[in-house]
This record gives sequence, structure tokens and C-alpha cells, in this order.
Amino acid sequence: MKEVNESVLQEAANKLMFSLKDDEVQRLLIEFKHIIKQMELIGEIENVDKVEPMTFPFDVTNSFLREDKTSEPLKREDALKNAKDVVDGQIRLPKVVG
Amino acid sequence: MEYTAVIGLEIHVEMKTKSKMFSSSPVSYGFDPNTNVSVVDMAFPGTMPTVNKQAVINAIRVSNALHMSIDDTVIFERKNYFYSDLPKGYQITQQFRPIGSNGYLTINTSNGEKKIRVERLHMEEDTCKQLHSWDFSLLDYNRAGIPLIEIVSKPDLTSGEEAAKYVEKIRSIVSFLDVSDGKMEEGSLRCDVNVSIKEKGSDKLGTKVEIKNLNSIANIQTAIDFEINRQALVLDCGGKIEQETRRFDEGSQETVIMRLKTDAVDYKYFTEPNIPPIKLSKEFIEDAIKSSPELAEARLIRYKELGLNDYDSSLLLVNKETSDYFDKALLSKANPKLIANWVIGDVQSYLNKNNISISNFKVDPLMLGKLVNLISEGKVSSKQAKDIFAEMINSNEDPETIISKSGTSQVSDESALLPIITVLLDANPNLIADYKAGKDRVLGFFVGQVMKQTQGKANPSLTSKLIIEEMNRR
Repeated sequence: MKEVNESVLQEAANKLMFSLKDDEVQRLLIEFKHIIKQMELIGEIENVDKVEPMTFPFDVTNSFLREDKTSEPLKREDALKNAKDVVDGQIRLPKVVG
Repeated sequence: MEYTAVIGLEIHVEMKTKSKMFSSSPVSYGFDPNTNVSVVDMAFPGTMPTVNKQAVINAIRVSNALHMSIDDTVIFERKNYFYSDLPKGYQITQQFRPIGSNGYLTINTSNGEKKIRVERLHMEEDTCKQLHSWDFSLLDYNRAGIPLIEIVSKPDLTSGEEAAKYVEKIRSIVSFLDVSDGKMEEGSLRCDVNVSIKEKGSDKLGTKVEIKNLNSIANIQTAIDFEINRQALVLDCGGKIEQETRRFDEGSQETVIMRLKTDAVDYKYFTEPNIPPIKLSKEFIEDAIKSSPELAEARLIRYKELGLNDYDSSLLLVNKETSDYFDKALLSKANPKLIANWVIGDVQSYLNKNNISISNFKVDPLMLGKLVNLISEGKVSSKQAKDIFAEMINSNEDPETIISKSGTSQVSDESALLPIITVLLDANPNLIADYKAGKDRVLGFFVGQVMKQTQGKANPSLTSKLIIEEMNRR
């Protein structure tokens, strides 16, 4: 497994476009240490690598598909209520491309 | 040095379903920003996606048209990335189990037929539209969640022409199947191209360059041919191809660099936990295929059975709307070849001259068929038909109504024509003698006289037949 160190965290934060303060990095390193230790417990279980990963708790499928019918969309005021900056009914952001 | 180009295409097709891929908000174009969105599209906490049945049917139909194997289990993945075009922070797509895989299509190029393998076809959701201004960006979520089909070709294409033919074929398939408008200029069909070149005969692949911003089939061809030449020139001068994304600049007709591709983005794909695997029954898949609208290829076979040639058929099949118009006109039981001539002739030239599309053309195809019938029955001449057609465009009236109003109907009634002919022949016995002596021009004179007396309404072929019969009788 990839070692989680200071530069890995900074790189991840950079890719996600936010900055981390030193004390936040330290706190995360401690949290990751705990998490990884716990994961190692699972690794100790015999033949665990032979178990198929599962996404759903039960191995079931269904056949539900939604009919292609429309329903009333949100009112624009409601749709945009969480946005900080709205111009002409659109959410305004700092420019996202160079 | 001689090179061979290796080209792969990724095509995104926006479906024209009523509702979105994972929500029931309307799929719409040209509405006010952010008026066709739901809590699912906006990623409000606690909302759950549901899969659009018609989108799955569409994906099955296109997969079938591309001769693909169809997966009967529908599973989606999350493609995680952080960007403002996606409110959820991930796009729901089918990374690991595309609904369609391992197909092909056949294209006709100037070098003959070629089979292009299609690697995969999957369903996903469109992102929101971003309007970039000089110092800010505006977000409109109406497009977020519109169903998309992504079709990925194998790198079997080797020239701009082949790529253009391939895209044309895909566009024809999705529009004839009623899956999409397939309009590149409006963004309902979008195409990303990967181009690399290698030494002729070599197995060693070159560095791939991606080209974006291709909004017409002509641009795809131009951009690829430019890019192949550019890469060859770089290599011939001892340079190195960089792995980069370029865009096509319409002004200069060249590809220009957008950005270098450094490390590949890791999208941390994992199964979408909110959509349990959906099992499609055999009947569901078979029904989707059986009820599939008729493809251009099938229509071509049908048109040829009606006696049309390849060229005329291809003009009718240039788009679905024209072909639909022709098919509706056929219901009038008029002669197919004559209808075809009208649709690709007078109708098309009127549309071109007035810059309107056939879907906005006012003349009902059944009425056009009626007009063609009137010509075949000899009730109107081709010249009169053109005037009636112009009037049909103007007044939107039935051709028969127009005829009865203007009295332009052709006289095809023998009993109406014979008396005129008899009087004419009685008055000119010397000309009949000239005719019998071999002067064919006499016939033309007599026909002309009858036309004059009937104000051009006499059916010319019938008139000429009756005159010959009468003269022979004397």
C-alpha cells in the first residue's frame, strides 16, 4: 500500500484545489495511522485476499427501470438557494479555465 | 519517411429522451438557465438516482445496430473528479461493464468498403453547461443529467476521410433510431479524436495527441489530415511528438495546442452504490431490438425495391426527416420514382433557396403524392404541376382545390378533345396529305393548334395520339 505521508496529503489537497495547514496535515497523519492499523487487522484474517470484493450487502439484482416521463422541475429560486452568487439565474464562480 | 496514421474516435451522443438519465426532470434545449433541474441533478443530499428505461432501450438499439454484444446486467460506476461542471463531485457512468461491446460498422470510402471495429458503448450523464467570461464562469444545470451514449472506436481509422465517414455513419444510426438529433453544430453529437502516426510497416505506436472542439464532420476531416501532416513534419525534422490536447481552430484550419497531458488523472472509479445491478430480461432486450425504428440501410434496400437507383436513394437518406417525408408521401400510392424526383428536385431546391429544413416544410407529403398522382393520370402536365406546387406552398391547399379554382386541369377527356381535332383536320386537308407524304412537322403544328384552343389545358400526349389516329383514318 502507498505510504500516506506529508507530501501525499499535500499532493491530494492540491489536486482537489484546497490548501492544508501544517496542523491539519499532522492531524490527518495521525488519523490515517489509526485507519491503516485497523485495516491491517483485516489483513491478518486468513485467505482474505481470496474473498471477492462486494459493493452491495446482498447478491441480488432487480429489474426496475423508471418510465421516461417528466415531472415538474424545481423552481429556479429553490434550485439556486444554496448558491452564494447568482447572476441572471446562473451560478457565478471565479473563472475555472485559463 | 512514410507514415501510417492510427486514429481512434470517442463520440458522445446526447439522447432526446423526455426525461434525464437518472432523474425525471425534462430534457430541454433553449430554456432559461437552471429551470429544468431536479434535486437529483443538483445533488441535494439524500437524493437517489433512478435509471431511465428509454435511455436503456436506446443504448440497446444503437448497440444492436453496431453489431455489439449486449450485457444483460446494467451496472454503473462513479467517476470521481472535482470540477464545477458536476454538482455531485462524480459522474455516473459505465466504466467496467459497458452495455455494448465488441461491435463494428462498415464505411464506404474512396478506397472501397472498410470495417471499423467499435470497442464499447456505454451510458452516462451529461455535465452542466459552463459559460466562461473573461473573469468569471456561469453555471447552467439544465444540461446536467441529460442521457448520453459514449461510443469508442478501435484505432482502425487511418485518415481524415475515414474518420468523417465513420462519424457520418454513427450520426445516421442515432438519428434514424430516434435516439438523438445527432447535430454536431448544436452539440448533441460531440467527437474527440486521438491521432498518432507510426512508420509505415512498423508495429511501434507513436505518441497519441487528442483533438477537441470539433463541431462539424468537415472539421473532423480537416483537423485529422492537418494533424497527421503536422506530426509527420515534426518527426521528419527530428522532433518528438508530445502527449498533448489540441483544439481545432476554424479560422486558420489548424490544430493548436491547448495543454500538455502530464500524468493521467485517477478517477477512483467504484460501483455506484445507489443503483443496485439491474438485470434485463431476454424479452426486454429482444423487444427493444424488434421495435427499433428502421435504419438508413434497411430503408435503402426498401427504396431500391421500389425501383429507385443508388444515387436518388442516397439523396433521400441524407437525413431522417427527408426520408420520413418521402415515406409519408408514398402512402398516397403515387409512383415512387416520381415522388422521389419531386422530393429531391423541386422540394429540395425550394428548401435550399429559402434556407428551411424539411421538418418545417408546409406542404403535406400526402398532398405532394396527390399532385404526383394527378400528373401520372394525365390530369395535369408537368409544367402545370410546377405552378400548382408553387401555389400549394403559398396557400397550403389541396392540389385538386387549386386546380378547380384556377381551372388549370388538363383536358384528358377524349370526348372533349375529338371535336376540336375534327374541326382542325377538316379545315386542313392539304396538311394531312403532307403528313402522309412524310412531313412529321405537321403533327407538331396540329398539336400546337389544339393547345392554343384549349389554353394549354389539353394533355399533349393524348392529343398527339388522337390526331395521328384521326389522320390515319382519313
